[in-house]
Amino acid sequence: MKGYFGEFGGQYVPETLIPALDELEQAVSDSFRDEIFWDEFSSYMRDYVGRPTPLTCAKRLSAHYGLDVWLKREDLNHTGSHKINNAIGQILLARRMKKERIIAETGAGQHGVATATVCALFGMPCAVYMGTEDIRRQHINVERMRLLGAEVIPVESGTATLKDATSEAIRDWVTNVDSTYYLLGSAVGSHPYPHMVKMFQKIIGEEAHSQILEKTGKLPDAVIASVGGGSNAIGVFSAFIDDPVELIGVEAYGRGNGKNGASINFGIPGVLHGARSHLLQDTSGQVLDTHSIAAGLDYPGVGPEHSYLSTIKRASYRLVDDSQALAAFRLLNRLEGIAPALESSHAIGYLEQYAKEHEKTTVIVNLSGRGDKDIHTVLEEGL
Amino acid sequence: MISDAIRNKNRAVIPYITAGLPDLETTGEIIRALSDAGAAAIEIGLPFSDPMADGPVLQKASHMALQAGFTMEGLMENLEGWTSSTDIPLIIMSYINPIMRGGMKETLESFRGEGVQGVIIPDLPADARDLFNLCRGIGIDLIRLVAPTTTVSRKKEVISGCRGFVYAVSVKGVTGARTALPEEVSSQVKAIKAMTDLPVCVGFGVSTARQVDDMLAFADGVIVGSHIMAVIMDAPDPVKAAYDCFRELGME
Repeated sequence: MKGYFGEFGGQYVPETLIPALDELEQAVSDSFRDEIFWDEFSSYMRDYVGRPTPLTCAKRLSAHYGLDVWLKREDLNHTGSHKINNAIGQILLARRMKKERIIAETGAGQHGVATATVCALFGMPCAVYMGTEDIRRQHINVERMRLLGAEVIPVESGTATLKDATSEAIRDWVTNVDSTYYLLGSAVGSHPYPHMVKMFQKIIGEEAHSQILEKTGKLPDAVIASVGGGSNAIGVFSAFIDDPVELIGVEAYGRGNGKNGASINFGIPGVLHGARSHLLQDTSGQVLDTHSIAAGLDYPGVGPEHSYLSTIKRASYRLVDDSQALAAFRLLNRLEGIAPALESSHAIGYLEQYAKEHEKTTVIVNLSGRGDKDIHTVLEEGL
Repeated sequence: MISDAIRNKNRAVIPYITAGLPDLETTGEIIRALSDAGAAAIEIGLPFSDPMADGPVLQKASHMALQAGFTMEGLMENLEGWTSSTDIPLIIMSYINPIMRGGMKETLESFRGEGVQGVIIPDLPADARDLFNLCRGIGIDLIRLVAPTTTVSRKKEVISGCRGFVYAVSVKGVTGARTALPEEVSSQVKAIKAMTDLPVCVGFGVSTARQVDDMLAFADGVIVGSHIMAVIMDAPDPVKAAYDCFRELGME
């Protein structure tokens, strides 16, 4: 069936949005076949975003763990994370579709900043929905979005985090469907979003693939990435999917007390925000409250392709809790002079467990974003 | 039969209420009150944590019902009492996840077993053919929504997979009262009626007797939700409030 990865994905949306999804699907299909579209995308990636991002050999971290660790430096992108890849791709599509207004949801604020940035670049009005809890803990990004000319709309419903911001963005889209393009930030939601977002994030994996071959002469043993909705992970995984390379997604285990963001580990297949995937829910089918110190991983669902990769056992999904992520944040600062986003710190944090089972293996960790936005949170927890 | 219940009324108004607000026992009393007040059928909304098609009033109602302890188990214990207390059809409105959680087939069979006659799912899969066939086999009407944006070819597909009545969504947007409804509603309803023998009912945004009259000039029925729930949530006596509120929407 259309838009499924195995039994996951699909289009579960209010009827009003069906024609909008059809229109988007058509635009995606036309644009993806058009070389001019990809030429334009590539030129923005190179001249505006600053790609390719380096693949950095993390020498002291490698020595610390007895591994050969390479960091894919998405933190060095313009705006500080991988989110800009997808934002550029989608705004080029929105322009082709002659949409007049852009809306987005954001958790950590990285996607909100990326969206506000491309809207400034192309002179389009932009509204970003953000939970009030996230506005509090990611305040720097809120100010950045406002400086970029975006309207940040606080969402107080539910848990006031990413899930509720997403629901509110969908409500806006249903209401303003003719004029408005919904620039969704992760590989989640209804078809064609998960596929489209992957195609824009695939550049991470393609670069890393050729860089690791160039630098080491061989494929890595494993690729590790954090998974909230899962766009950075699917982007880096996709280039290695046909290779004999272990793919490891890292989910947020929160405080380890039952509230977490680890949908694949603890969820049951269900429908949230337009697609079927692993979902943290109770026995009545109500979506559970989540917690992660990383706002971008504080989400009860996951991209449908990750659910699929997990089910067919092509990728495995491991757990890192708040304190392990904080320890990784501090470690990377001290050993490599790099402050990772708390989301990316979960991927770094997994190395501790990985190193116990592996020796001298080569791993790529996708450093999906930089951690300036999180210094406030880290300080609250104590250096 | 839901379609007969609507056709047999000169003034077919279908109230929507959120189950479990303030509690399941009172929901039962509200159902009887609305039935006494002359409802053509009653749409019972199951609360959901993430109601993406609903505006502020029904979001709040959902949230409060969940806070008050609504569960599917509790619902199943009460459903039979509700359906047997009235002659009018009861229709369940639920987002798909709570139905899917207990198994689509099992949950829909339980609804039917307890006397529920129809089901409305605002986030149905785009291709709902299998689900329509499942509902038909169980003997529960799958009521589908047609939006102002729905194309002609999509309308055909939706209507061919729909029973009970066609739910014409009056506005682009979420549920909730609107001071004015778009003029296109009338042509939208007429276009649907030209394609099917099923009754066509208008919902989303309707909150006054005047609006009900306007809609009934061309539609077979009208659904009123947020307005009734706003009144129920604010009232010291929700049962009486529901009855009075419904009567104010106009008599036959």
